[in-house]
Amino acid sequence: MDIKADDINRRRVLLGTLLGGLGAVLAAAGVYPVWRFLAPPATDEALDQVTLFRDQVPLGGAHFFNFRGRPAVIIQMRPGDFTAFSAVCTHLGCVVQWQAAEQRFLCPCHAGLFSADGAVIGGPPPRPLERLAVSLRDDRILVG
Amino acid sequence: MSLRKFIVDWLDLRLGVRDLVEQNLTRYLLPRNINIWYSLGAVLLTLFGLQFLTGFLLLIYYVPDTTQAFASVKHITNEVPYGWLIRNTHAVGSNLIVVVLLLHMLSALFMSAYKKPRELTWLFGFILFNLTLALCLTGYLLPWSQLSFWATTVATEAPGAIPVVGEHVVRFLRGGAMVGEATLGRFFALHVMGLPLLFALMLGLHLFCVRRAGISRPPFGRDYRPAPKRHSFEHEYHPGGIPFFPNYAVKEGAVVCFFLALLAVLVFFAPNLFIPPAAFEPANPFVTPERIKPEWYFLWAYQTLKIFPSEAMGLAVQGAAMTFLALLPFIDRFSERRPARRPLFVGCFVLGILLFIGLSLWGHWS
Repeated sequence: MDIKADDINRRRVLLGTLLGGLGAVLAAAGVYPVWRFLAPPATDEALDQVTLFRDQVPLGGAHFFNFRGRPAVIIQMRPGDFTAFSAVCTHLGCVVQWQAAEQRFLCPCHAGLFSADGAVIGGPPPRPLERLAVSLRDDRILVG
Repeated sequence: MSLRKFIVDWLDLRLGVRDLVEQNLTRYLLPRNINIWYSLGAVLLTLFGLQFLTGFLLLIYYVPDTTQAFASVKHITNEVPYGWLIRNTHAVGSNLIVVVLLLHMLSALFMSAYKKPRELTWLFGFILFNLTLALCLTGYLLPWSQLSFWATTVATEAPGAIPVVGEHVVRFLRGGAMVGEATLGRFFALHVMGLPLLFALMLGLHLFCVRRAGISRPPFGRDYRPAPKRHSFEHEYHPGGIPFFPNYAVKEGAVVCFFLALLAVLVFFAPNLFIPPAAFEPANPFVTPERIKPEWYFLWAYQTLKIFPSEAMGLAVQGAAMTFLALLPFIDRFSERRPARRPLFVGCFVLGILLFIGLSLWGHWS
């Protein structure tokens, strides 16, 4: 029985495919754990609520805190009237400052200005500050 | 196929890759009677590459601080996805490396590959061996467990027996009177930066020597003749030999796969084979755990220290043995390499292995 060149070629292709497939499986088995090791932990952020105390927020002043991994700010304009915002400027992501004298937010990066209810009153920001839900329970404030 | 040809053509025009491949792979001939022991270098390269990769990954979550180190390692092992895999591969891999390193050295010794003109290859290899042990020792402290703490205490205590300067050496190694934050800081820096850099340099020199001098012919077979005396440099060619690629590379790949499979078996089914229970308790500088022993590859040294009446003498004997091994190519200057014609050497070789095993077992059971 003689072996034709065609047969040898077919065997080569088969062997090459098998080896390539095996290599791909092994590579995937190596890469997948590394990828999972490096991936940031998944958190169910939607459920996170932050609890603050009323006396943490001065009247006419602001209190900065961490909300779902980002800076947030809460202000008390009139006694018992709390408003919370994401403190991240809608322009390029800097954190706004509270200017108590002018009762407004200033973004120090490109001089974006926001009123005390989050609306844009000057500078480049395209959107108002993102508002966060606030509810009151006794002496505590729940954000989110 | 045409894309591949296009890329190769493009690179070939600029770097002459076809010529490089021919010179170093397909037309790079090895002795016909080359054996499987010659592939252990490739195994070591692979295992060290794996250590580098897993070590780099561990650095992402590890915190080198005495109050947080243990918790961070626990976090890696128990909480980070596949952290157990990365950590165990790193810890078990270090033990496997020492095994393969010893086999690699024994094969070079048995086949007298260290002899002229390969003295420098041996010397750089010997330095690599010591750097590996230093990497093992510095890495041992990092999880800040009871085992880490007390093993390091004992290991850094040993130089204290050196007359006159001993105390200063101990303080210098620890960065203080006792093992503590300062020790962790310097061991961490050494383990992830200092020693690896030095290791890479020595590895480069070792491989350069191997490649420059040419692979040594295994001293076996009927046609083997000792090389004639040389007075000028000559690369050892092997006309009529087998090509490195694909012939020997495939064999080497098989041996590499064997050791990777062994590593996988240990990591998956016996990750704690080399890790005693004291490794799972956080370090407590006020409580020494019972029956604390060094890692298996330091047991011989540990037992030697116990045998000799004074620690200084034990250290001197160890130092002498290591120095002898390092300088062996300069001491053993006969050109005969066939083990069958070197009964004295083979006798010492076997006795040396038995002594190492005997001392280690004695140290383990004592």
